[in-house]
Amino acid sequence: MATYILRRVAWAVVASVIVLTLTFLLLYFTPDTQLAELQFQAAQAGDDPEAIGAAYESYHGYDQPIHVQYIEYMGNMLSLDWGWSETRSQPVTTAIAEAIPYSMMYAVPSVLISSVLGVAIGLYSATNQYTRGDYAATFFAFFGLSIPDFWFGIVLFVLFSGMLGWVPIIFDTTAATFSLENLAQFILPIVVLTLSSIASLMRYSRAEALEYVEAEFVKTAKAKGVGDWRVLTRHIFRPASVPIATILVGDLLGIILVSSYLIEVVFGIPGLGTLSFEAIMNQDTSLVMGTVLLPAFLTIIGNLAQDIAYTILDPRIEYGDS
Amino acid sequence: MAVDNEPRETFEDVDWDDIDETTRAFSRKTIVTIGAYMLFAVGLLYDYVLKPPRADTIEPLGISLQALDWLYILTLLTILVGVVVPLYENGRMTRYYWQQFRKNRAAVASLIYLGVIFLIGSIGPRFLEQPTVDPSNAYQPPVFTSAPNWLPVECAGEVAGGSCHGTWAHPFGTTHEGKDILVSVIYGMEVSMQVGLIAALITITIAAIVGVSAAYFGGWIDAALMRYVDIQITFPTFFLYLMIVYLYGGSLFSMIVIFGLLGWGGIARIVRSEALQRREEEYVLAAKNAGASGYWTMRRHLLPNVSNSVITAVTLLIPSLILFEASLAFLGLGDPTVPSWGEVIASGRSDLPNAWWVSTIPGIFLFFTILAFNFVGDALRDALDPRADGGDK
Repeated sequence: MATYILRRVAWAVVASVIVLTLTFLLLYFTPDTQLAELQFQAAQAGDDPEAIGAAYESYHGYDQPIHVQYIEYMGNMLSLDWGWSETRSQPVTTAIAEAIPYSMMYAVPSVLISSVLGVAIGLYSATNQYTRGDYAATFFAFFGLSIPDFWFGIVLFVLFSGMLGWVPIIFDTTAATFSLENLAQFILPIVVLTLSSIASLMRYSRAEALEYVEAEFVKTAKAKGVGDWRVLTRHIFRPASVPIATILVGDLLGIILVSSYLIEVVFGIPGLGTLSFEAIMNQDTSLVMGTVLLPAFLTIIGNLAQDIAYTILDPRIEYGDS
Repeated sequence: MAVDNEPRETFEDVDWDDIDETTRAFSRKTIVTIGAYMLFAVGLLYDYVLKPPRADTIEPLGISLQALDWLYILTLLTILVGVVVPLYENGRMTRYYWQQFRKNRAAVASLIYLGVIFLIGSIGPRFLEQPTVDPSNAYQPPVFTSAPNWLPVECAGEVAGGSCHGTWAHPFGTTHEGKDILVSVIYGMEVSMQVGLIAALITITIAAIVGVSAAYFGGWIDAALMRYVDIQITFPTFFLYLMIVYLYGGSLFSMIVIFGLLGWGGIARIVRSEALQRREEEYVLAAKNAGASGYWTMRRHLLPNVSNSVITAVTLLIPSLILFEASLAFLGLGDPTVPSWGEVIASGRSDLPNAWWVSTIPGIFLFFTILAFNFVGDALRDALDPRADGGDK
């Protein structure tokens, strides 16, 4: 088991290196828009665009051979020197560190709510299959799966802040983390994010629990007169919890990373998504790369955690082949 | 019983060379299929090599085909050859699947809805002008509804009691730029269908080739292909699109190609694991014993038998592609020349308190299209996949 986990960790490192290398190559072979603009300005001012270009390239080290640039790039990435954000006049890592708490403020409650509620509804659906409650849950899951979260966010936002005035229109960054004001401005993002992440969790829990609803040991337990609640928690939920726990880490992370990006832009939350979006709008390349690479690393870590969780939780798994 | 005096033909008498020759002749279907693809290739060749640059593709009709249109034609042709024709030929199988599929009434309704969207989206843009900016026509409310009179610059309908009523001239109203929303929505239908179908076709092609050859050949080919898939899956597709669209700009064509070229990892894994099981089945061993080549085995025995799970997976992939495109267009990273649903939703965002219809109407179409694909995919899984029985025994 130790060697298996070590192999997975090694693979995560290799994957990170490959992702970084590809990013480097993408950047290396893309014409620099900033350089083009500088040269255009220089030409208009009557300067020599070539000289400006050369000065720009030597300032950023772009005139070095590719392997020197590559080693420098990887070294910077490793030492968390992710470049300088021109538009924000601060290091990329600082900008990201300042944005993360705002993303956490709605993502953490949303993950907690959707995982508890999603699993609970999934178990209910499985034990009450083809009842009205199950159909309602299925319908709800399809609704959550299909509703474009940015659109739903806009509609809720207009309804509750524009028309009803229940939640503030402009995001207030000075509100204390644990205060009613903060809750009011985060309640809609939490609802939208929960809706989009709960659906897959519900469907998955239902499918997993269904495998055990008709299992021999469940029938035996029922025949012995074990109560419904105890059958549900001890005989159905326990074996089903292993695969459910793994989807919690890996797949939920993917959904939340994408949904939160759009939700932040819609609600004007100054988190990672808005940071990345504004960087794209302002052509701030190093910040764009930083904010796009972070989700990639989170996904790698999430996948790693998913695999390790599986090996620890499920003793039946074989470590021979990965 | 009549006595048969003719010498009976035995197995040994069969002239296999003769039979080989007759079966090698092309059937009418093959000729028509190849002919259709040849016609496509000739058209493509004409458009890009022979005709003078900047001229319309079909001069007298004023039809100009772009790279995206050619790809869409190829996609529709392939769907016709690969899905519609086999369904028509195997009537009994089609009826059986339809029996299964019909049990899910929501899915049948969804299929009809998608068909209507596809038809309107294919025909509409041929006859309707692209919505144009017309400031004097801004903020017209949809028909049967009304808006405060101060909102539209010039109310197209009748004004009664201080409010402007919508007219049939703009059944879904207009945006702040005076673009007709119905026309934008119809153009958006085509965009969404192009995104979903073309990207799905590219995905399905690559995933099938990679998955089946990984399973069939095994060894280092399998290892190399699946390691590559591991890496591709690692990078969250949405952020990869974001990065590439940021670096290279996003025309609809490049967006669709990126979606197709980078999103096939998950399906390739499904294909591989299915094909691995099929590879060990008796009919594959029998085919190999009879001297079937690797290509033949993969094409005639592995591929048809994994197609069910592939079709289901792709049907469930299409809605996420459409949603990706709408999300990127909403963020302003889509193709600025194409009126897509996401772009119209974004354009009406700040107007929602006054002009609710701008963002709401394309959003409803987007929601129902995604929902319909999800329903159809779910029903297809129940109908095609014998293992996913759902417990209703």
